[in-house]
Amino acid sequence: MKKRITWDFLMTRYPAFFPLILLVLSIAINLFLQPNMFDRETLNSNMRVFLPLILMAVGQAIVLLGGGIDISVGGVVSIVNTILATRVGLDGSPEKMWQFVLVSLLAGVLAGAINGFFIAYLRLQPIITTYATSFLYAGFALFILPNPGGGIPADIANLYRPSTPLGLPLAFHVIAILLLVWIYVSSTRYGKFLFAVGGKADAAYETAVPVTTMQFSIYVISGLMSALAGIAITMLSGSGNAEIGNPMTLNSITAVVIGGNAFSGGIGGVAGPVMGAVTLSLIQNIISFAHINTWWETLVKATIIVVALAAPGVINLIRRRRA
Amino acid sequence: MAKSLSARNIVKRYGGVVALSDGNLDVRTGEVVALIGANGSGKSTMSKVINGVVVLDGGQLLLDDKPVHFSSPQAAKNMGIATVFQELSLIPHMTVAENIWLTREPMTAFGTVNRKALKEKTEQLLSLFRGTYKTDLHLDDPVASLPADEKQIIEILKAISFDPWMVILDEATASLDSRQVQRLFELVADWKKAGKAVVFVSHRMEEIFRIADKYSVLRNGKTVGAGEMKDINEKELVKLMIEKESVFTFSRGETKANDKPVCLEVKDLRTDSLRGVSFSAREGELVGIGGLRGQGQRDLLLALFGDVPYSGRVGLFGNESRLRHPREAMKLGLALVPGDRAREGLLYIRSILENLQLPSWAQYGFPLKINKAKSDATKAGESLNLIMAGLGEPVSSLSGGNAQKVVLGKWLMRKPKLLLLDDPTKGVDVGTKAEIYALITQLCSEGKTILFYSSDDEELVGLCDRVLVIHDGIIRTELSGATLTKENLISASLGVSNGYHPESLTGGAQ
Repeated sequence: MKKRITWDFLMTRYPAFFPLILLVLSIAINLFLQPNMFDRETLNSNMRVFLPLILMAVGQAIVLLGGGIDISVGGVVSIVNTILATRVGLDGSPEKMWQFVLVSLLAGVLAGAINGFFIAYLRLQPIITTYATSFLYAGFALFILPNPGGGIPADIANLYRPSTPLGLPLAFHVIAILLLVWIYVSSTRYGKFLFAVGGKADAAYETAVPVTTMQFSIYVISGLMSALAGIAITMLSGSGNAEIGNPMTLNSITAVVIGGNAFSGGIGGVAGPVMGAVTLSLIQNIISFAHINTWWETLVKATIIVVALAAPGVINLIRRRRA
Repeated sequence: MAKSLSARNIVKRYGGVVALSDGNLDVRTGEVVALIGANGSGKSTMSKVINGVVVLDGGQLLLDDKPVHFSSPQAAKNMGIATVFQELSLIPHMTVAENIWLTREPMTAFGTVNRKALKEKTEQLLSLFRGTYKTDLHLDDPVASLPADEKQIIEILKAISFDPWMVILDEATASLDSRQVQRLFELVADWKKAGKAVVFVSHRMEEIFRIADKYSVLRNGKTVGAGEMKDINEKELVKLMIEKESVFTFSRGETKANDKPVCLEVKDLRTDSLRGVSFSAREGELVGIGGLRGQGQRDLLLALFGDVPYSGRVGLFGNESRLRHPREAMKLGLALVPGDRAREGLLYIRSILENLQLPSWAQYGFPLKINKAKSDATKAGESLNLIMAGLGEPVSSLSGGNAQKVVLGKWLMRKPKLLLLDDPTKGVDVGTKAEIYALITQLCSEGKTILFYSSDDEELVGLCDRVLVIHDGIIRTELSGATLTKENLISASLGVSNGYHPESLTGGAQ
């Protein structure tokens, strides 16, 4: 009896416990294959590639916590990338860059607000709505930039790539800020409402929680985080491609679920999904270092992800059998 | 300081169903009003009207004699009206403290929740029920990990945490043990002294007489009586709750001689909601299952159909059986007509043919003898007088009554020996009801055994040979022959006489 409580306790009170195990495991394997992994240069070149997904995972985590899902995030990333690549240009000035970074953020907020309006105010299904808007946003990105090209000035991109303030990769600072903001937000009333709406929307309504406003806000946050991810990936690649965000949508959801957040909402946090995003990216790394035949890559990656996703369920099943 | 809330001539419809046609209620500070009524009389709707969960279709609410309008639970709350919801309004994965103070958390200057103050305020509230907790209740436990009674207590504490002038207790004692009920009643007495008003919705007569000052009785959506508790006794209250005239004329035959073989023997059946049920049924017998909703009747039928895990012994047709899956029950000749037609009984968007044949496809070989299946389904439809445009039409095109005939038909096509009926006439029109009654009677005369749960007491009294009254997971009383009257059934459902002595009930109720 006591033992059961301990496991449940760990899983519900510390949802990041399981993702932490996965993270440590994948770091260990990665370190074995790539011994210089913790050198400043290697670490930074890895982390700057991981950062866009981490940012998206945080946005997606908020949406899932609030009982929704957002599969239009990849489209937002593409829009931001194409805006920056076409409006700033390879020879643009830094002022112009910052100006359009602001425009990008607004575009992300607007895209999120459109999702939120449909879902919170018109009461449409989150998965259907954001599936539909994902084509809207992806299509809009193609409209801005039909063929890959354009870009941002190299000296601005260089601000992002080798940047290691205080000797640590830029991504570490961003993660630290994200976690600090989350710790603050989750102890505010907004944070409590977020868990309440995701946990049981009816009960939250009967308790006078502003359910509709909360649902609207999570999509706006997700749009904003996707825009940040779009800015990061543009700084990383330096060029424009209207399809750059497409493969990131499902990765962001996978990262959040590996990170221990419940698909049904109301359980989890942000630290887990951040670890989930890093784990997911490390798996990609491991595969390329393990010299696995390219043809097998997708299969191996998918298998690892399926096993990681299934593990908590399998553990629960074994526990139920024993009980 | 004295406040009052009155509901006048309230009308509330859900779709075509009239839940309240003339609901009235008067509540004043310093008094406890019991809201009483049989199943489906409109009690829950009435409490949802005065706490703003549902919007009225007619009538008026008066707060201190001035008309008010509650557009949401929040609006009622702002007027100082708190509700202890029967289906708890707690968020499972949030902690006890977070749940109680949700939307009213004490804050720090930085906009974060003040944990220390939250802790103190929660401790203070939890101490109201100190000594009655069975577990080591801690304010940082997620609510999902608590037993049902403690969840109920948290719901009560949540309601009173914002110091309302009026508290609605909707079946709040149902999951509490006697010590906890005692504690709650002490608190209610304190609230009364402090000038609060309490609306007490309960099925337990004994509790109503213990704490209520006034009563208000609902019957079929109408308020049929109200007054002071001291002017009325249990029997008079029960009488008020009972309908006088009946639409149907039932022809319950004389109780047949019990010479047929026993085909169902249940010993000490236990599930999550049953606490040891034993009974037996003979071939051709119609055994009614009565009692208030949600006392374990549904679990009894599901357990016998292998749909929920159970402990205890079930003997079927002379053999000990262990039912682990509905498939096994079906093989033994059992059929279950489930209570929630739309969710469990039918595939709404699929055709009538598919629905009728769903449990029977295996009989039609491979490849399916589709013409045989069609002609069998047509025959079944005809014998049930099923009104439809064609077998290929979706079930969603049928009326409620005809849809229910499809549910019955799909099981009757398998020629079951033992039928389990879970409230088969719920949401069915009057004509179809009469047809279902005739069908039930006919099936029994053909030698089939039927377990018949109904939330309509009149049906049970009118049709059954005997009725097992279930209360709180056990069979409280068995009524048959002369003791099987509506008065006795309702009294037993409410646990008036603890139900152990049916003969003592018969005396006075007539």
